[in-house]
Amino acid sequence: MAAVKRITRELAEFSNNPVPGVSAGLASESDVFKWNVILTGPQGSPYSGGVFTLNLTLPTEYPFKPPTLNFTTKIYHPNVSNDDKGSMCLGILRSDSWKPSCKISQVLEMAAGLLKEPNVDDAVETSIADEYKNSPDSFEKTAREWTRKYAK
Amino acid sequence: MAPSRSTRISLQSVDLRALDYLTSPSANLLCPICHSPLITPVQTRCLHTFCSACISLSLERSLTCPVDRKPLNHDDVTPAPIMIANLVNDLMVLCPNRDKGCTSSCARWLVESHVREDCEYAAVKCAKEGCDGMVERKEAEGECVHEEVECAFCEQAVRKLDIESHYKECPKLDSDCRHCSKSFPNPELSAHKLVCPEEVIDCAASHFGCSYSSRRSELDEHLSHCHFVALTPILQLHTERIETLELENKAIRQKLDILVPPRPLPSQSGTSSAANDSSSSGRDMTSEMQDYTYHLYSEYEQLRSDVERLNAQIRELDVKQDMARFNEGLRYNDEMTGVRSAINGLRMQLHWLVASRRENATGGAGAAGARSVAGSSAGGDGRRMSDSARQVVKL
Repeated sequence: MAAVKRITRELAEFSNNPVPGVSAGLASESDVFKWNVILTGPQGSPYSGGVFTLNLTLPTEYPFKPPTLNFTTKIYHPNVSNDDKGSMCLGILRSDSWKPSCKISQVLEMAAGLLKEPNVDDAVETSIADEYKNSPDSFEKTAREWTRKYAK
Repeated sequence: MAPSRSTRISLQSVDLRALDYLTSPSANLLCPICHSPLITPVQTRCLHTFCSACISLSLERSLTCPVDRKPLNHDDVTPAPIMIANLVNDLMVLCPNRDKGCTSSCARWLVESHVREDCEYAAVKCAKEGCDGMVERKEAEGECVHEEVECAFCEQAVRKLDIESHYKECPKLDSDCRHCSKSFPNPELSAHKLVCPEEVIDCAASHFGCSYSSRRSELDEHLSHCHFVALTPILQLHTERIETLELENKAIRQKLDILVPPRPLPSQSGTSSAANDSSSSGRDMTSEMQDYTYHLYSEYEQLRSDVERLNAQIRELDVKQDMARFNEGLRYNDEMTGVRSAINGLRMQLHWLVASRRENATGGAGAAGARSVAGSSAGGDGRRMSDSARQVVKL
């Protein structure tokens, strides 16, 4: 019950002070544990012009357990698993580094930040991370292509 | 007997965490776990402050501080300074019965007693002896509304509280139609609503643009001469076609987006946006698209002619190289035959020389001359020897 209250409070807080480039809301009015998130690709990144939808799932133990973020739009990114789950690897989302004082808006801010600058040290897709490190041009080309193909 | 004061103490519980605050409290007074103003604040050894309930929940799951993740035990949690508790308890809150109509607000530490004893909208036990129902405090003085009474019409037992709403659906009662103000028995009312001649409804072709609306009874006359209705079949057909075309267009657009970047090249957008700054964004888009298409097309043409030119050049080069190789081959062949004949000549001379030297060695008279030749050639190099040999041959 405490979780529901905190989540509703966070939702209200988020709608009052939205994170730039991120819009979020409940997937259905009856369930506060499932959020729909829309990220817009930041200018100057290979994702610019793209619109990415994500599912944010909050555990019933929230805020003691971290939420999970899944991309439903395919994205070519070192920190997003390239499968049908599209789970995003975010440092603060790992259960050993999650803190109950972290807020959903911080999580979403981090997610938006990762689009601007991928974090190769936390990568789930190591091959993409290597490409990002070693041949940024070809990484950017593929990322742009995927954005065009899937994120319109 | 007047109800005693004690029967009207509200047992309604107040959830402090669900309260709405008159002003949004300072972020420093919020619990990092539940994000509401601290309730019974406690402090950890690492000097972080939480609601007492929140930190116990957190420690049940992990023995670390929820803020800095330092190890933390139940014993490391002590009540926070009284000042913090006072700060949060003094925050002004709105009465939890606000949605029922209570407008009062008070300091948080008073809100429980407000609901328990004062709030006119708090649920209190019904004053009637033996009744378990709850009423709002302001109605507690009146008669019990939880008694069941018999509906005077359908003889169904209905609570007094619900009698008003029951009358609207009692099967034995008539209700007035909102439109024709005729009375119908309740069960028939919904069927009547669909055919009520007095209801004002829109023309059947309203979604095609006919703005006519009239009472249902008069609409038939309009329908018989409404142009929109006459055109409905063809408009319907067009709508369907437009829908299929839109779908098709969407699919094509997706394909196009894959082939062509949706935004013009930087150089292009720079010039075209400068030129079209003042025009509307719609026209801007189409002209930009057109510009871009032309640009692409011309680029494509240019590339094609480039490729053709390059192909021709390659072919020309191929022919040239073939010719050169052929000529070179011929030259080498000639040279080879020349060299071969020279070698043959040399071999013959060598044979002859060897033969003549053998002859000299056996004959005594010419020996001195031959030896002097041999001596000089031993001091010089091979080439000189052959020169001298050749000279000898020529002589």
